[in-house]
Amino acid sequence: MALDTDIDAPELEAPQLEVREGVDRETVETVANMGSYKYGWDTDIEMDYAPKGLSEDIVRLISSKNDEPEWMTEWRLQAYRRWLQLEEPRWAMLNYPEIDYQDQFYYATPKSMAERPKSLEDVDPKLLATYEKLGIPLKEQMLLAGVEGAEEITSGRKVAVDAVFDSVSVGTTFKAELAKAGVIFCSISEAIREHPELVKKYLGTVVPQSDNFFATLNSAVFSDGSFVYIPPNTKCPMELSTYFRINAENTGQFERTLIIADKGSYVSYLEGCTAPKRDIAQLHAAVVEIVLLDDAEVKYSTVQNWYPGDEEGKGGIYNFVTKRADCRGARSKVMWTQVETGSAITWKYPSCLLRGDDSQGEFYSIAIANNMQQADTGTKMVHLGKNTKSRIVSKGISAGKAQNTYRGLVSMHPKATNSRNYTQCDSLLIGSGCGAHTVPYIEVKNNSSRVEHEATTSKVDDDQLFYCRSRGMDEEEAVALVVNGFCREVLQALPMEFAMEAQQLVAISLEGSVG
Amino acid sequence: MLEIKNLHVKLEEEDKVILKGVDLTVEAGKVHAIMGPNGSGKSTLSYVLSGRGGYEVTEGSATLDGAELLDMEPEERAAAGLFLAFQYPVEIPGVGNMTFLRTAVNAQRKARGEPEVSAAEFLKLVRAQAKLLNIDAEMLKRPVNVGFSGGEKKRNEILQMAMLEPRMCILDETDSGLDVDAMRLVADGVNALRDGKRGFLVITHYQRLLDHIKPDVVHIMADGRIVKTGGPELALEVEENGYTDILAEVQ
Amino acid sequence: MAAPRPRSDLRAETTAARLAALELPQGGFTAPARADALARLQAMGLPTRRDEYWKYTDPTTLTAADASPAAVLVDAEPPVFGAIDRLKIVFVDGVFDAAASDDLSLEGLEISRLADAGDIHWAQGLYGTLEAQGQIPVARPLAALNSAAATDGVLIRVTGRVSKPVELIYRHMSEASDAILHHLVKIDPQADVTILESGPGAARFNTAMEVDLGAKASFHHIRVQGSDHHRRAVTHVFARIASEATFKSFTLTMNGALTRNEAVLDIVGDHATAHVAGAAVGDAKSVPFHQDDTVFVTHAGTHCESRQVFKKVLKNGATGVFQGKILVKPGAQKTDGYQISQALLLDGDSQFLAKPELEIYADDVKCSHGSTSGAIDDTALFYLRSRGVPLAEAQALLVLSFLGDAIAEIEDAGIAGAITDRLEAWLARRL
Repeated sequence: MALDTDIDAPELEAPQLEVREGVDRETVETVANMGSYKYGWDTDIEMDYAPKGLSEDIVRLISSKNDEPEWMTEWRLQAYRRWLQLEEPRWAMLNYPEIDYQDQFYYATPKSMAERPKSLEDVDPKLLATYEKLGIPLKEQMLLAGVEGAEEITSGRKVAVDAVFDSVSVGTTFKAELAKAGVIFCSISEAIREHPELVKKYLGTVVPQSDNFFATLNSAVFSDGSFVYIPPNTKCPMELSTYFRINAENTGQFERTLIIADKGSYVSYLEGCTAPKRDIAQLHAAVVEIVLLDDAEVKYSTVQNWYPGDEEGKGGIYNFVTKRADCRGARSKVMWTQVETGSAITWKYPSCLLRGDDSQGEFYSIAIANNMQQADTGTKMVHLGKNTKSRIVSKGISAGKAQNTYRGLVSMHPKATNSRNYTQCDSLLIGSGCGAHTVPYIEVKNNSSRVEHEATTSKVDDDQLFYCRSRGMDEEEAVALVVNGFCREVLQALPMEFAMEAQQLVAISLEGSVG
Repeated sequence: MLEIKNLHVKLEEEDKVILKGVDLTVEAGKVHAIMGPNGSGKSTLSYVLSGRGGYEVTEGSATLDGAELLDMEPEERAAAGLFLAFQYPVEIPGVGNMTFLRTAVNAQRKARGEPEVSAAEFLKLVRAQAKLLNIDAEMLKRPVNVGFSGGEKKRNEILQMAMLEPRMCILDETDSGLDVDAMRLVADGVNALRDGKRGFLVITHYQRLLDHIKPDVVHIMADGRIVKTGGPELALEVEENGYTDILAEVQ
Repeated sequence: MAAPRPRSDLRAETTAARLAALELPQGGFTAPARADALARLQAMGLPTRRDEYWKYTDPTTLTAADASPAAVLVDAEPPVFGAIDRLKIVFVDGVFDAAASDDLSLEGLEISRLADAGDIHWAQGLYGTLEAQGQIPVARPLAALNSAAATDGVLIRVTGRVSKPVELIYRHMSEASDAILHHLVKIDPQADVTILESGPGAARFNTAMEVDLGAKASFHHIRVQGSDHHRRAVTHVFARIASEATFKSFTLTMNGALTRNEAVLDIVGDHATAHVAGAAVGDAKSVPFHQDDTVFVTHAGTHCESRQVFKKVLKNGATGVFQGKILVKPGAQKTDGYQISQALLLDGDSQFLAKPELEIYADDVKCSHGSTSGAIDDTALFYLRSRGVPLAEAQALLVLSFLGDAIAEIEDAGIAGAITDRLEAWLARRL
């Protein structure tokens, strides 16, 4: 196993980066210091596994491991039975071998989590090492590891973190401070136990149990995930963040996130994902549901950096994700920002249902596919309410032998009068062995709405590369710089700290793509 | 000729009242100027007179030679002899400037029961007028206002005015975005149309246009009403002291 | 990849019923190609709404065993290309009418009738070939049906520069006619021809034209689909375009309950040009209007340029569909691909459904597409009216300017003028 020991965790205080000017020097410097897949270590922690394969018994087992009430067990079983009748979708431009759903573990949990540790010394040191490698600062590590009383000694940067390690949420930080504001931020299993009225009311209402093959599978077997509730007229006092990590071998990860933004509330939510290098492909099928009531606003940012597999396409994560926001309330607003650099297979379409009048949806995406990676990603903007607005900015980069597809739907229903959509999809090709594809669906059923779609495909500009190189950059640095410039509009949409991480990822992801 | 009586106007979509009882009469052959600070309702008045959507007349009337303008469609107002030179002339990609002009001229002639102009005769007329306004042939070939500079757009408006021969001309902030030379060119075009019968309503924020187009009467508009009326000297007063003093004096 | 979905019983039944209602031509030089097409059709089955490329257009009336009747429009307008000197070839309800047609001899051309071509013919290696190649990667079952079952058509070989266009005139005389025509156009290197098409053809009309362009050849195609309201048509153009050749096709669609125009262009040579354009105007006030352009341009050569320009004006619940793809194969470097699809919806009931696709496997390319949908620009409309132009005339002017980019794809000014006149007349009636 590759286990880099001398990786510097990113600093606690993010340096003030001039992301707006395109690309900063630091990116270029960082590129030189990075390994090819920074997060490619695994942690040898004793795990509790459920037996391989999927059956009603496994579904019940997962439910009972989480101490779930009967109604939740039933909900899962319903989903499982529905799933048995569904066929795996194959319409995406993705080519991968048949997945054996019986050859997966559906539940794994670190043994050390069975009891809550009292202090940092009691925490499994390997778990702490994992967090360190994830770049989570020490004090937050204590919080994450669940050390009691740790919250009081934490100061400085305020990002509350919920970490999901394999299938289980291992800890959530800043809970007390958030609770003061009335914000609930906890694992979904805890929410099912502690806030059943909210979970019952909203779970499965944005992504129904039988929505699609992968979401249905998730509904049956999701083992944990994050839950957020922001009460009316509340601006969440800090950014919320979830780190997902797949660690155990042969383990599918199926986390489920539910965010409820009540009337007039605001929250910015960050999601990061990593996984170790494995020769065997691993399955990840997550569901994120966001409910927005009147005047609520949610920003959801993702930096997805699952292991992409090696240069020959061996291993990597198969990432099948259903993310959807339901702008139920008038004037509500959701913004999806994603930087997709990892995974062998990406199948992901974060969507917006613009139900409320004057509601808004935005989707900003960078998808990078290098080597043998395949990505089929985009969004759906479904305009149902009057005066609704949506904006799509997608930047796809293909290199090596990768295939990168933007797939999107913009739908203006007859009653969505005076609505607007603007879509810009740009693809960049690096090298002659890759592919870049654009598959938009545009359905306009009223004439007071205006829909505009533009897409371009081109190669990395030789003149720009030459200009950079004539100023002393090597080819990879030059490509990183130019590509970061190409992605600028999306990078700007990310929270500052994420933007920095994303810039570095863009550079790392393209290593070996030139020369 | 143009008689506006107690005109009240609000926005169609919002409960915002813009004009709160405007009274104004422009006699044949006269040039009236309306000056006023931003947001006083000057441009709204020009839009309402020419029939642009988005406004609701709640009270009052506006007649041209006795005919109620407010009941007419925009093209009927044009046929009745009303012309608005737009503050922001509209770009129409795909429609040639010449096609546009000829369609407009013939539509108005048809509405007035006059024979249409032949293509050859029309070309002659346009060329003559264009020359006066320093509009080159290239500009006539391009689509309406597309890629025109600010000055070219305004000259194009005056060219249309000359070709359409309206009875009553409204110039909405025609000086905005023009340098001194362009303004003189536009003013010369307007002055050439002053024939003692045609009425003019010149809407402007600054006095400088009125150096070139000498008004007979100057009105000051504020908060949706004409608050003061006087001779050309009123414009000079605004130039020297700004609007604040005049408005304070009125109140 | 996943195994092909088992054909539904419905699909198989529909295909069997359609074939049972047909009398398949026997013998002649086309026999092997027809047998091949029939086998392919039986394997793939006729389309259903569940097929990806029939998602927006219901093929039921095109695949039904019998054609639904369509009233014959008594056309008061003169022939659209009447003022143009051309060689006329007339089909009445899908049957060649020698008496109404001109003498088929013209310098630079060899024209024969498919139905009398006999056992040996230059077209032997071509009939059904481009259609068969055009089935990959997207199945076009109605084209396979055409190759298998076409009863008439013309075989045109172009050997030089032709002095005047050839017009295929399709008259619709019988309310229940159901016609399948298959044409071949083979253009020798450096030869040049203009083919015009006009008229509704039949109550139900299925046409296929295979166009094989040699090096430096050029093909100009201008088509006006007849304005009969109830007719249903599916048309196919398959082209193979060699080095430095030029392919240009324009179609005007006015009226028609259902029109599906498929163009499958395969650019196999280098430095070639392929343009395909369409203007569609439809008013569904009394009869439905559904118009669908499905275009697939494949770049296999280097330094080639392709353009797709499609404009649709829709009124009273009319539906416009555009499905267009630019596929750039590995190695097709220096490709310049462009695609625009735009709809002007004149009221709240009409709809525009579009799927403009790019699929690109070469890096040194410049490809772009755009798609817009919306109402007439109110500001422009007001500007025109403020200059005295009446509402309807102002709308017509704006609609014509909207369609202008598509009409501009027609090189011949006389033909473009004929198209514009026809459009103006339609707009004067409909706006």
